[in-house]
Amino acid sequence: MTHHSALTVHQISKHYQDGNRQIEVIRDLSFNVAAGKSISVTGPSGSGKSTLLNALAGLVELDDGDITLEIQDKIFSYRAANERARTAFRRQHIGYVYQFFNLVPTLTVLENVRLPARLNRRPDLEAFASTLLGDFGLSDRLHDFPEKLSGGEQQRVAVARAVLLRPPLLLADEPTGNLDSGNSAQIADLLFSSCRDQNIMLVLATHSHEIAAMADTRLHLDARPSASLAPA
Amino acid sequence: MIPLALLRFLRRTPWSTAMALVGMALGVASIVSVHLVSASISSRLDGLVPSSLADFSYYLHRENLHTHDYFELRRRWRSGALPTLERLSPVVDETAQIADVSVRVLGIDLLSQLPSGDIPTASGAFAFNGVWVDKSLKDTLSLPINGIIEAPEGTLLSDISVAHDLLDWPDHQLSYIGLVIGQAFAHGLEVAENLLPGFGAGLPIAKPNLDIGPGWQLVNTAEQYPARAFGKSVLFNIAALGMLALLVAWLLIYQVAVSWLRRLWPVFDRLHGLGVEWPHLRNYFLGSIGVIASIAAGLGLILGWWLATKLLTMSVPGNAVALDLSGWVVIKAFGSALAVCLVGGAWAFRRSQRGQPQTLAPLLATLVLLVCGLICVIQPETGLAGGFFAIAVLSLAAGQTIGPLLLRLKRWSSNIGGSYLMRVGVREALWHPAELSVALAGLSLSIATAIGVGLMVDSFRLDFSQMLDHRLKYDVIAEGNPASLEAVIKAPGSVAQASRIQHYRSADIRVDGALVELNVTHMDAFESSRYAHDKRLGDSEVLLSEQAARTLGVLPQETLRILGETMTVAGTFSAFGDLKPRLIVDDQSAIAEAMGAELKMASVAFESNSPKALARALKASSSTLEIRLQSDIRRIALNVFDQTFAITTVLITIALLVAAISVYIAVTTLRLNRQTGRQLLNTLGVNRVEQHLMNLAMGIGLGAVAMIVALPLGVMFGWILCNVINPRAFGWTIELQVSAGALLWPCAWGMLAAVIAGMLQVGDAEEGAFGGR
Ligand SMILES: Nc1ncnc2c1ncn2[C@@H]1O[C@H](COP(=O)(O)OP(=O)(O)OP(=O)(O)O)[C@@H](O)[C@H]1O
Ligand SMILES: [Mg+2]
Repeated sequence: MTHHSALTVHQISKHYQDGNRQIEVIRDLSFNVAAGKSISVTGPSGSGKSTLLNALAGLVELDDGDITLEIQDKIFSYRAANERARTAFRRQHIGYVYQFFNLVPTLTVLENVRLPARLNRRPDLEAFASTLLGDFGLSDRLHDFPEKLSGGEQQRVAVARAVLLRPPLLLADEPTGNLDSGNSAQIADLLFSSCRDQNIMLVLATHSHEIAAMADTRLHLDARPSASLAPA
Repeated sequence: MIPLALLRFLRRTPWSTAMALVGMALGVASIVSVHLVSASISSRLDGLVPSSLADFSYYLHRENLHTHDYFELRRRWRSGALPTLERLSPVVDETAQIADVSVRVLGIDLLSQLPSGDIPTASGAFAFNGVWVDKSLKDTLSLPINGIIEAPEGTLLSDISVAHDLLDWPDHQLSYIGLVIGQAFAHGLEVAENLLPGFGAGLPIAKPNLDIGPGWQLVNTAEQYPARAFGKSVLFNIAALGMLALLVAWLLIYQVAVSWLRRLWPVFDRLHGLGVEWPHLRNYFLGSIGVIASIAAGLGLILGWWLATKLLTMSVPGNAVALDLSGWVVIKAFGSALAVCLVGGAWAFRRSQRGQPQTLAPLLATLVLLVCGLICVIQPETGLAGGFFAIAVLSLAAGQTIGPLLLRLKRWSSNIGGSYLMRVGVREALWHPAELSVALAGLSLSIATAIGVGLMVDSFRLDFSQMLDHRLKYDVIAEGNPASLEAVIKAPGSVAQASRIQHYRSADIRVDGALVELNVTHMDAFESSRYAHDKRLGDSEVLLSEQAARTLGVLPQETLRILGETMTVAGTFSAFGDLKPRLIVDDQSAIAEAMGAELKMASVAFESNSPKALARALKASSSTLEIRLQSDIRRIALNVFDQTFAITTVLITIALLVAAISVYIAVTTLRLNRQTGRQLLNTLGVNRVEQHLMNLAMGIGLGAVAMIVALPLGVMFGWILCNVINPRAFGWTIELQVSAGALLWPCAWGMLAAVIAGMLQVGDAEEGAFGGR
């Protein structure tokens, strides 16, 4: 299935209230991502990378501006949707990979990967889950619980789960932050190649310049809430 | 500095603090109310024994007891041959008809007993030929009355010689000799009685070793006043059940302490790093828990007092009850709350510091205790306390199986099918043995107790209503004084509608020294069937109530000497609720002939086609008689039965409530771990409703685990209650019937408690120690 999809971020702002102090995390940020393209987000700690990704996932409410995701001529506006609608949308159209705690500890590897298929009632994708895990070199770990897996293996399972539905948008927040360089490179390769092969837009936050450089576009966030967009 | 920070921590976690407080207060309220109810019932039970006799621990009896026997015994005592004996005194104690009233005449040696007891000596009106009576006899007797005493209705106290005159007895005849025998642990027993009401009834009765020669029967006063012993046994049962809520509260406090320590530990670690010693940290921690314990004890006192008034009006309706908030209750409330909190807190601290102990010692200890429990079940000599010890040991063992059971279930849990979210929910219930096993042990213990008591009550109710079916074959029963009963039978008009009339006569007699009630009536096949005996009773046969058979130590087909006659025990019958052992003989038997005049008409039963009309006619013909319809008796009897177990139900409910709170706390503790998991599911698009359903699945999982342990444990409890506790406490056995209702209701309530605990979201927002993100 090929998507015609596009992500538009239009002048979004986000602040947190800490007691009576306002922390401006994102101010007037805009950018676009085209179908199958990737963008890396870098910046110092506290610059708002995770906040941006959570906003793209619909997990945080925006103060201003809007995020829209166009899928097959249908446009989904984050501002217009309530939490319920965003949750339903996320379930169907967004994959997410965190730095750690990616897997539900009480589900086996296979169950973890099949979970999106189950949640979206797509039994046709269940066989694909095993194929995907096989491709990722995990065919002998299907029925293990995550606690038995190494960090690198856990991240591979997380990537497999995130791409299972072939969602238009995949978010990855420091997916390699916890891994050694060998595993890092492997996970980054998996992410970028899977997204390219399946026409998935990838937004990836990272501290690593090598990995950031693999993206089509780079977004750098400053510690102060102002952003600069630079081509890779 | 640190204590202040800890108190601030408690304020920052208002939900778990409040829950701990409520749970603890409920536990305290449970024992406080049991103590108050017991004290109130106890003082009423003590009223059953005239206080002039209350000092005696044993009675000595022999056939035709003569004053010579008394003086002979006294000589031996004076010479030092009976060292354990502290005091002895002759007593006349028989029932007589005086002025058409049945009066218990009590003759004591006024010269030796005057200084003690309740006889007013200050007034000049005292006369040796006068009597003391309880207030019911104040206006009925035409004897010089010295004063009014506290005693059961219809009691008359006088000097021995006056009693002889009233009874028409020869001067040398005595009923028995009262003995005061020094008890080694008398003081300890009194303390124990205050701590656990009815404690004395729980102990097996050992006969003291008195070298007094042949022909004597030594009777424990408890056997002499079975009503009192019966009541004390009931108290012991209730007290044991009252402990359950406290035990569960202890598990709750442990659970809360674990939950708090989990949040506080990083801070403690840092403080330790800064040079504060672990014992110091522990003491601060226990101190802040102690503050909660004290507040909970105060709340528990108030709550328990309120509960006690409710329970008393429920179990003894129509009687205003005075509750005594004495020192003992306060000590008990604060003592138990502090002990439970400190022990629970210290245990939790130790485990947080050292982790789960990996030794075999607890397992071995449990095994040894289980063997002891088994011995207690087999050996009746271990008494009521032995029975409850067995229950306690079983609970301990069952509690210890929860952890390993969860581990096994966790390993097995990849087999759980169904919706993925349900899998997640159920597995979460199995995934944290260390965090959940204690709370689940409390829950399954409460459910098991509910099942055990439920099974016992249901079986009991079945046996009881069967007994009523047998007993209530007559349609109308008249009870009252003998003269009015005679008049009713002789007045043909009112009883013409009756197709059968049965009269009962009775008297109190002594068999083997024990006081029993003798019933005499025409025991044809119909009448015998009322006592589950299928043919007419022979002239030399006797039927015994279960209590009588136990008291006298005889089995069916054995023989028994009653008033000089040798009688064969034809069978036993259940007599739940009887306070005295009872014997039934036919009115043609030699005993009936011999007793003749002493047997008084006690009641008359009628069979009739129109019972209501007959009852009306009887009521019209005599105003002094109590006329009851069979259908009413049955209803009243079952109502009384259900009221009796109301206290039990309330106590179990409290325990279940406390258990639910501790499961809630445990689950909240887990949520701290599960928060990241929940965030992940949220990211995957799992919505609120689905999260609630997952919590529901987890609650059901928790309930199911508790039930795996509670069901078999509950049935074992039921068996012990029916076959060990009841015979030892009351002298009757109950046939255990495993009824679906008794199994399912506690499970349903337990499941509900687990589900609510699993689904409650309040308190989730409580953060780690001292803020931080
Ligand atoms: N829920 C919240 N409430 C209040 N402030 C928050 C919240 N989440 C994040 N912040 C603040 O917003 C700012 C941005 O945080 P964010 O996690 O987005 O940074 P980041 O770039 O991902 O940092 P890192 O590289 O360390 O992951 C920080 O100052 C953080 O303290
Ligand atoms: Mg971040």
